[in-house]
Amino acid sequence: MSNPTISFADELRGRTDDQIAMLFTLRPDLISPVPTDITALAARANSMPSLMRARESLNKWQFDILTTICALQEPVSLVEIMSMTSKEAKGAVQALWEIGLLYLENERYRVPTNIRTMVGEHPAGLGPQSNKKIDFAELEAAPKGATEVLQRMVWGPPKGQVADVKKAAPNVRWLIEKNFLIAFDSQTVLLPREVAMHFRGGKIFKDMQSAQPLFTGVARKQKAADLAAIANISTFVRWAEELGHNWSDEPPAALKTGGLGVRDLKRTAEHLGIAENCAAFVAELLYIAGLIVIDTNDQILPTSTFDVFLTRTIEEQWHSLAVLWLETSRMSGLVGKAESKSVAALGPELDRGGTSALKKLIVALLVENPEKDPALDSIKSVVKWLAPTRANDEYVEWILREAEWLGITGQGAISAFGAALLKGDDLGIEAALPKPVDHILIQADNSAIAPGPLTLELANAIGTIADIESRGGASVYRFSEASIRRGLDHGQTGDQIKDFLKKISKTPMPQPLEYLIADVSKRHGKLRVGHNNSYLRCEDEGLIQELLHDKRLEPLRLRKLAPQVLISDVESNELIIALREAGYLPAAENATGILISAPTVRRAKTRPKPPRVITDITAPNPTLITSAVRALRAGERASSHKPRDIPRTTANETLDLLHQYIEERASLTIGYADTNGGVSNRLIDPLSISLGTLVARDHATGEIAHFRIPRITGVSPAN
Amino acid sequence: MTDGPLIVQSDKTLLLDIDHPLSDECRKSIAPFAELEKSPEHIHTYRLTPLGLWNARAAGHDAEQVIDVLLKYSRFAVPHALLVDIAETMSRYGRLRLEAHPVHGLTLVSHDPAVLKEVTRGKKIAPMLGLQIDDETIVVHPGQRGFLKQALLKLGWPAEDFAGYVDGEHHEIALREDGWSIRKYQSMAAEGFWHGGSGVVVLPCGAGKTIVGAAAMAHAKATTLILVTNTVAARQWRDELLRRTTLHEDEIGEYSGAKKEIRPVTIATYQVMTMRRKGVYTHLDLFDAIDWGLIIYDEVHLLPAPIFRFTADIQSRRRLGLTATLVREDGMEGEVFSLIGPKRFDVPWREIESQGYIAPADCVEVRITLTEEERLNYATAEQEDRYRFCSTTRTKLKVAVALARQHADDQVLVIGQYIDQLDALSEELGVPLIKGDTPVKERERLYNLYRSGEIKCLVVSKVANFSVDLPDATIAIQVSGTFGSRQEEAQRLGRILRPKADGRTARFYSLVARDTIDQDFAQNRQRFLAEQGYAYRIIDADEVLSKDSD
Repeated sequence: MSNPTISFADELRGRTDDQIAMLFTLRPDLISPVPTDITALAARANSMPSLMRARESLNKWQFDILTTICALQEPVSLVEIMSMTSKEAKGAVQALWEIGLLYLENERYRVPTNIRTMVGEHPAGLGPQSNKKIDFAELEAAPKGATEVLQRMVWGPPKGQVADVKKAAPNVRWLIEKNFLIAFDSQTVLLPREVAMHFRGGKIFKDMQSAQPLFTGVARKQKAADLAAIANISTFVRWAEELGHNWSDEPPAALKTGGLGVRDLKRTAEHLGIAENCAAFVAELLYIAGLIVIDTNDQILPTSTFDVFLTRTIEEQWHSLAVLWLETSRMSGLVGKAESKSVAALGPELDRGGTSALKKLIVALLVENPEKDPALDSIKSVVKWLAPTRANDEYVEWILREAEWLGITGQGAISAFGAALLKGDDLGIEAALPKPVDHILIQADNSAIAPGPLTLELANAIGTIADIESRGGASVYRFSEASIRRGLDHGQTGDQIKDFLKKISKTPMPQPLEYLIADVSKRHGKLRVGHNNSYLRCEDEGLIQELLHDKRLEPLRLRKLAPQVLISDVESNELIIALREAGYLPAAENATGILISAPTVRRAKTRPKPPRVITDITAPNPTLITSAVRALRAGERASSHKPRDIPRTTANETLDLLHQYIEERASLTIGYADTNGGVSNRLIDPLSISLGTLVARDHATGEIAHFRIPRITGVSPAN
Repeated sequence: MTDGPLIVQSDKTLLLDIDHPLSDECRKSIAPFAELEKSPEHIHTYRLTPLGLWNARAAGHDAEQVIDVLLKYSRFAVPHALLVDIAETMSRYGRLRLEAHPVHGLTLVSHDPAVLKEVTRGKKIAPMLGLQIDDETIVVHPGQRGFLKQALLKLGWPAEDFAGYVDGEHHEIALREDGWSIRKYQSMAAEGFWHGGSGVVVLPCGAGKTIVGAAAMAHAKATTLILVTNTVAARQWRDELLRRTTLHEDEIGEYSGAKKEIRPVTIATYQVMTMRRKGVYTHLDLFDAIDWGLIIYDEVHLLPAPIFRFTADIQSRRRLGLTATLVREDGMEGEVFSLIGPKRFDVPWREIESQGYIAPADCVEVRITLTEEERLNYATAEQEDRYRFCSTTRTKLKVAVALARQHADDQVLVIGQYIDQLDALSEELGVPLIKGDTPVKERERLYNLYRSGEIKCLVVSKVANFSVDLPDATIAIQVSGTFGSRQEEAQRLGRILRPKADGRTARFYSLVARDTIDQDFAQNRQRFLAEQGYAYRIIDADEVLSKDSD
């Protein structure tokens, strides 16, 4: 390797503003924070974390070319690269240069030093250069088994283990003697690069794919896909609601390690009638959305946000969940996998970096190939080509599965809604949902069927007098004594229920149902229950009368329930205080017997705290990039002056010089002491002096700054 | 959206809008793989179950057909997950096969080594298996054929049985169609069974299951063991076989508590088969007494659990199950599927009714208001006595008598559970009573008189529930019954659903005491009957009584 005559930083310094801006766009991590100068930028761009990030954005073709360059002697000309790969390499090399993984030295390419570390010791399975003379003609006379040894090592790894190099088998010994192998240490032999290249026929890779593999799949009609997606969307939203309701009724207990236990997952899956991995997915999304939370007492409960969620339209509900799905780094497919039994839904072990990027990549792929249900192998190979470092066959499967559950896809092909979600367009779900129906069909077995989604009002109205038995495109309701009673409890009368049903039913009301309603409403209300907060009893009926007529006690709104009993809506302690103030002598009684219970809807006390999301660094906007480039250039100019020492000047000299330069409108370098006494050099354009302060434009920030004259240690013209 | 007649719900129920013009076509298409759960007047409910889907697979339907049907008729988009689930479930059937290997005998075969590996790992299954011959074949211990099928079904990998059957001892049997002819669906049922090898034929009560059995015997032409619920049913099978086939009296034996005849065609009762002495089943030898070529199980839905165990041992014999319903109250549908076989034929009640083979029925619930005194007594009765109390009140008796009198010209059956009540009814009406301790001879004599019309009214206890042929009963009056069991309801309705000569509507009265636990049970009954599509109405006892006083 010849020593570079030009450094990576030098080359970057020579790039135009536009090229630097492009570098920032391609590698957003370089801009946060903005490096002070090009040297800092080069150092960061050559740092391992940044290189790994850049590598993730490469497709397989680009990465293979980068590996090829690493395997060649630097610097490498484009012609050399093309001869080792193919003519199409030109575009990829340009892209690699733009992203700062290559730099130019006299029209030939070099890689920043750390890339070699990243690519590895043996790029493309090639061993080190031997630099000894190798005569391939000698192979003709190779002892038995020698060529086989070489053949096995040709495509890497180039390392071979032997028991002892000194006592190696004759064939290996011969190979070492003739320089076909290098004895690396007492137990390892290496295949020199030249030998491998010879056997590889001058190529570095067996085959390189310069183009994205074909995306194949079963053809679907967009309309059919959208229809299926709508079914998926409405089903998914219903699952979400059902799960929340179910966990409100029977909250699962979180595991000690955090997360949902296998048994609870199973129960939930059974309740929803779906597979466990699907239930885990629903639960995860609700968790990420803050709709459920692990409460302080380790119960997993819906949050108040869930109540808000319930009031939203299906489109809004779906959007809120689908967006999170795209962004989250949590991979619910890991739950309950055979190899990773301990991974629990809602647990701490589901984060996988790059998940979101992989999802977006896959959805984008589907958008590019509409009306197609991808063949699994095909999409896996495409993903592997596009993002070799991120691709994971299992993840791809899971992501496709989740996309289908969510309705991003329908019948495997991208739906209009999934595409709109990715683009941020109007989703149009509400319009695509089946038209709500405004009637039901009542049958003699006391069931009613709404042959389609009911309008919200109707659904609520029927929900109070009938139990839902089956959901889906249609809803099946069942009338029972209990459900009719519930309707009566809601203040409806038997006749009202009957009239309501007659009005909305397309079929005549079956006689047995009329009987049922009549039976229940006849018995309903025979027993009367009222609400009060306290009671007052006294065996002296006269005293009771007196209390009732006491004007001072009117605010208590005492009511007579029986000759010796009064009740009041105020709490018993307030009642006692009021009575005492009015001069009576009441005593508190142990409260037994009256119990008022209302159905409790359990909600978590803690605020929603969805798990953090590991996001990828997003591409910065153009304004940010432009200002970053400007700052970089300024930093560059400043640092280029740094080496020069600024001669110290006295305060008077300083003032004189400044006046002089202001008139000349020249740029200056000044030494400026900060509050701690540290002196830094600033590159400025002086503007004016007032009140012992120099007003000047600071090149580093591009802003007007004030410098106190006494702190200026020296002045010298720029350049 | 196709606006089809079918709504596919995500809980795997299918709602069929029968007022839709395509409903008939759709019903025929979904019947092979979906179980009809209820069929009230407007919307019928079918359910997709693994057993149903596997039944369809056994009948030669594949997942693609099923999915096509759903997509074709569905009104709304069908969730993809459900379709995937269907395909997945159906693909499980037949992945494992039981085959007879020329060298190794019975083997479990699969072209999917992973599945084979999965099932052989099961703790219960491993001991039933022997040597693994290759990746795809494992020897099955002889005698484990049935138990293995049972266990595999529980794991969700039902095995298809290709191991074949023994022919059994040949015996000439043919149908003798003189003066009658086999109905089309009956012969289709027998053929469906024969081509399937073993399995269950589902036909409503009164649709002539005995003839299906006889036709199956004519196919097999082999010695046959017929298992029936009780002695009366055994005699009826015998009579029917004599009437419909070329069999002679001395070729048919009865194996029951009373007689122990073993003949080429032997009819045995469940009771005698499950009889135990000192914990040992004493009559099991019957299964080996003759080299049977066919075993018929009457009323499969009532098959007692021990019989399943015996059945597991005789998997190489052809088995035919006959029933009106695959629903078992003990949930042992899986046992029927794995041990007797998949459903081979099925016609819904309504279809046969519309063909005129069974009479339409009208169900009437008569609400009886208890007297003040009865109500007080009921309120204070012990919990366990309450049902008995409310279903045997004096008032009820009065109404029952009034009803029976109003139908004096019809053939009436009065059915009840409590003997005291039945005694009183029989006395009040002056008609004979048939109960558990009525000797078989006497029972048959009374039935014959009833059939011939000499007796217009009979009071029967629950012994009459099963397999009694009373062709001309047009009116049934149920005064009390055990806790609204669906089974019993179906049987009782079956009693009166036999075709009437003049096409009259049969009527099924049940008497219910208002505001008591009786009414709760009645609600189950109403639901069941309405689900089956019968007209159901409620009248007040006063209507009956006032009519009576006219």
